[in-house]
Amino acid sequence: MRHGAISRIPITLRVALAMGVLMIVLGMVASQQVLRSLSRLHDDRLREIARLHVEGLSVALGPFVLHKDVWEVYDTLDRARAASEGQRMLFTVVADDRNRVLAATDPLRAPVDSDATPFSENASDLAALTASGNEPRVRVRASLSVAERTVGQIVTEIDVGDLVAERRRVSVYLLLANAAATALLAFAGYVLVARMLKPVTLLAQHMDDAGGAPSRIPEIEIPKSDTELARLLRTFNTMIGAIGARAEAEKRLAERERFVSLGRLSSSLAHEINNPLGGLLNTVDTIRTYANRPDVVQRSVELLERGLVHLKDVSRAILDENRLDRAGLPLRPTDFDDLKLLFEPEAAHKRQTLDWQVQADAANLASIPAAPVRQIVLNLLLNASAAAPEGGHVGLSVLPRDDGIELTISDDGRGLSAPDLDRLMSSAPVAPGGGVGLRLVHDLVVGLNGRIRHARGAGRTLLKVFLPKGEAA
Amino acid sequence: MRRRDFFGALAASAVFPAPSALRAQPLFRLALTPVFLDNDAAVIERLRDALSVGMGRDVDLVQRRTYQEITGALLDGSVDAAWVCGYPFLQHRGQLSLLGVPVWRGQPRYQSYLITSAGDGAASLEDLRGGMHAFSDPDSNSGFLVTASDLARMGETPDSFFARTLFTWGHRNVVRAVAGGLVRSGSVDGYVWQALAAVDPDLVARTRIVSRSEWLGFPPFAARTDRMDDPAVMTLQRALLGMDRMPAGRKALDLLFLDRIAEPDVRLFDGIAARMAELGQAG
Repeated sequence: MRHGAISRIPITLRVALAMGVLMIVLGMVASQQVLRSLSRLHDDRLREIARLHVEGLSVALGPFVLHKDVWEVYDTLDRARAASEGQRMLFTVVADDRNRVLAATDPLRAPVDSDATPFSENASDLAALTASGNEPRVRVRASLSVAERTVGQIVTEIDVGDLVAERRRVSVYLLLANAAATALLAFAGYVLVARMLKPVTLLAQHMDDAGGAPSRIPEIEIPKSDTELARLLRTFNTMIGAIGARAEAEKRLAERERFVSLGRLSSSLAHEINNPLGGLLNTVDTIRTYANRPDVVQRSVELLERGLVHLKDVSRAILDENRLDRAGLPLRPTDFDDLKLLFEPEAAHKRQTLDWQVQADAANLASIPAAPVRQIVLNLLLNASAAAPEGGHVGLSVLPRDDGIELTISDDGRGLSAPDLDRLMSSAPVAPGGGVGLRLVHDLVVGLNGRIRHARGAGRTLLKVFLPKGEAA
Repeated sequence: MRRRDFFGALAASAVFPAPSALRAQPLFRLALTPVFLDNDAAVIERLRDALSVGMGRDVDLVQRRTYQEITGALLDGSVDAAWVCGYPFLQHRGQLSLLGVPVWRGQPRYQSYLITSAGDGAASLEDLRGGMHAFSDPDSNSGFLVTASDLARMGETPDSFFARTLFTWGHRNVVRAVAGGLVRSGSVDGYVWQALAAVDPDLVARTRIVSRSEWLGFPPFAARTDRMDDPAVMTLQRALLGMDRMPAGRKALDLLFLDRIAEPDVRLFDGIAARMAELGQAG
């Protein structure tokens, strides 16, 4: 989910964010280095100060400590303290070789002859002296030697408050400066990246422009330079052109498929028209021959009328099938009568038994448009008839359902081939050809929000098309 | 500065020989005991100016760390005369003679003070038992002899009465040691303490007087008895006694908080001699 949330952020923002994060890391590393250097500098300075102080005092104090001359030790410390008034040295205590206090700059804090351990135990040696803690004062300890002999030690308390404060101040400045620099660079990065990725944004916009359909990028918006992004945009435009051409071709193909089914019927329909014509011409001869026999003329005229009405129905059904202005008309039971009229001769031609059951009434059908349903049923019947053997069975049933109708086309052929099933059941691209308008059937059913189920059992192929009630209901 | 003042003073006075003649004479060496002026260059310079003008020759003021060194230098002839303490003067009474005694606040006497830090509640010497004590110098009257003889009267010695004693080799240092808390109490020259109260009031304010001694003879100027007839020594004595009447001398005396230098009277030091006797020492 987190990944999903991140991936929804625009790429320009993501790159700026990544840049910001990198800057923060970089800033932290740099700050750490600066603080470490500062700390080292402070420590060196502090050690130098302490060394000078302690060494100076050691030289002066050595003989006095050797002789345990309390006054001279005190006098030396007191003068050194007075000379460094307001400086780093806060307190110094000098002890003899038994670590008893000889004198201190503040005798009240370290009385003469008292134990100096409390002062020396948590003091560091000169080499280990550091101001890196947060304590405002540190203690340093050094031995006092006279002629290579250790005669005592000196412990000095040094004020490092200013160094600690300076480091804290530098830390805050670094933090603020880094934050500002990071924000600035992240913003600059955002602007730069947004500018560099503008063609990509443009491409993304045109990919799903106006509700999902990709649209062509105007030439004026494509960068003039021949960068890979400009080439990408041009390639995209070429692809858009190809997609458009393909869609146009598919549309024309679908348009033609409507005639294919009629073309398939033309032969049987020609027979359907031609066969009665012979009988009708015979009837005309009969009327001519028996013009004086009113009963024969009467029967012949009735026969003639039935034949002509049938021809009229067939031609009307053909015309209806081709009428383009039928779009929008609701489906009626008579549409199925028309289909039967058109299809029967084809089945009869192949001596196939036609099982025709239309149980849905006008109310069930009225909310569904007629044209696509006629095309669906005709195409599926033609396929079923082609699949069923000579003398086989082809069936159609139209059943009402709660929220629509269910068309079932059956045959006892060998079943649909895998490519034909693909054409009928999926939207995946397929090679042209194959069963009569199966892809057209698929597209029409999808267009009506319906679905197709395929079943094969007991030597029969069943195609069940469910079509939901439309809004016109 | 010093030489300019000096020659300026010479030019103003017709009685002194020409500068070229002055430079030909050997230096007159006067030693100073470490009283309060021991580290005050301005005071030393004024005093040297005053004596140089007064004697009509260059005077070298010699300072040493201890009273003993000064006394030794005086006795062995390294210096011509010295400003000493009454105590070493009496110790070498047979070899030394007085040249003059400073007059401070109207009399040639001073006191020894027993001091503690300002916050200390001690009311007498007895209250300071077991503490640390600072003396000025073992040959100092006010800075050692007075307290030591007081303790002798109590049947004590400094080492038995105090936890630890130390010598600071200067009265000013006694005040520093007490004020800084290094020691609990100290024995100090009352004249120095009062003079310090004027020039370094912050330091003195951190101390308090527990007790004062009787009035004793002020540290005198002295020379070896066998050199008392030496013209240079006699010139020095005249210069000392006439200091308050000369501008340079007056300036020096003002800086030293002294009225004048008076004719010597050895009886002034009877009090010190009595204390020496109590310590079992004869004058």
